[in-house]
Amino acid sequence: MPMQRPLSPFMFPTWYRFQITSALSILHRLTGIALAVGSILLTWWLVAVAAGGELFAATHSFIRSPVGTVLLFLWSVAFFYHLCNGIRHLAWDAGYGFELRSAYRGGYIVIAVALVLTVLAWAYVLLA
Amino acid sequence: MSDNRSLSNSTALRDGSVLRRVRHLGSARDGLREWRLQRLTALALIPLGLYFTASLLRLATSDRLTAAAWLSSPVPALLVILFLLAGLAHMLIGLRSVFLDYVHSRARLLAAGLLVRAATAVLMGASVLAVLKLFLGR
Repeated sequence: MPMQRPLSPFMFPTWYRFQITSALSILHRLTGIALAVGSILLTWWLVAVAAGGELFAATHSFIRSPVGTVLLFLWSVAFFYHLCNGIRHLAWDAGYGFELRSAYRGGYIVIAVALVLTVLAWAYVLLA
Repeated sequence: MSDNRSLSNSTALRDGSVLRRVRHLGSARDGLREWRLQRLTALALIPLGLYFTASLLRLATSDRLTAAAWLSSPVPALLVILFLLAGLAHMLIGLRSVFLDYVHSRARLLAAGLLVRAATAVLMGASVLAVLKLFLGR
């Protein structure tokens, strides 16, 4: 009789206490998956620019619609978070920031920098 | 332990006990290349991604001529193609490791792996072709 064990990725609410370290870790995966979905839309946009005509007109009005704008915004949030936390991962690979204190501090820095980059990017888009 | 040592990578293919070893002891002595490629593409994607995102967020809502003019000039075309290659390779490795963790049957894992490889190949081909078409000016 095999033991009934809880399986990932459904550990969070019931089996694990909330911690920022594990929350950011699963968020890295979730944003990675979101960016993978975004790569389909990105390819669609590139193909539309290359093709022009009806396809571009339809794509253009979709991107400018509320849904398209929200998707683009979420894509940018996912990108900046994944970028910052990815750099945190590279630091870990190089052997830095593994102590509990720095793991937590790195997590807060990642959130802050990702937010700042998102705000800066959209300020640049909307004001420049 | 000394037996373990004789099993070098160069003789691994001819050693009949390798599969048994792998099944019972874990390490497949494989995967470092993928791990390295994930890190290398991650490093490349720091500058490429920042450049691409800063440009994309402005161009995504612009008219076709502006976007096409940007994509057909040499430096953006080159950097966008590099971004696409590094990004989609990075995506493939990442998605496969997600499947490896969460897909708990061998058949489904194989199917998911094939599907994501095919999807990546299509995305890579289509997006690079689109940029090339604009760059070559047709």
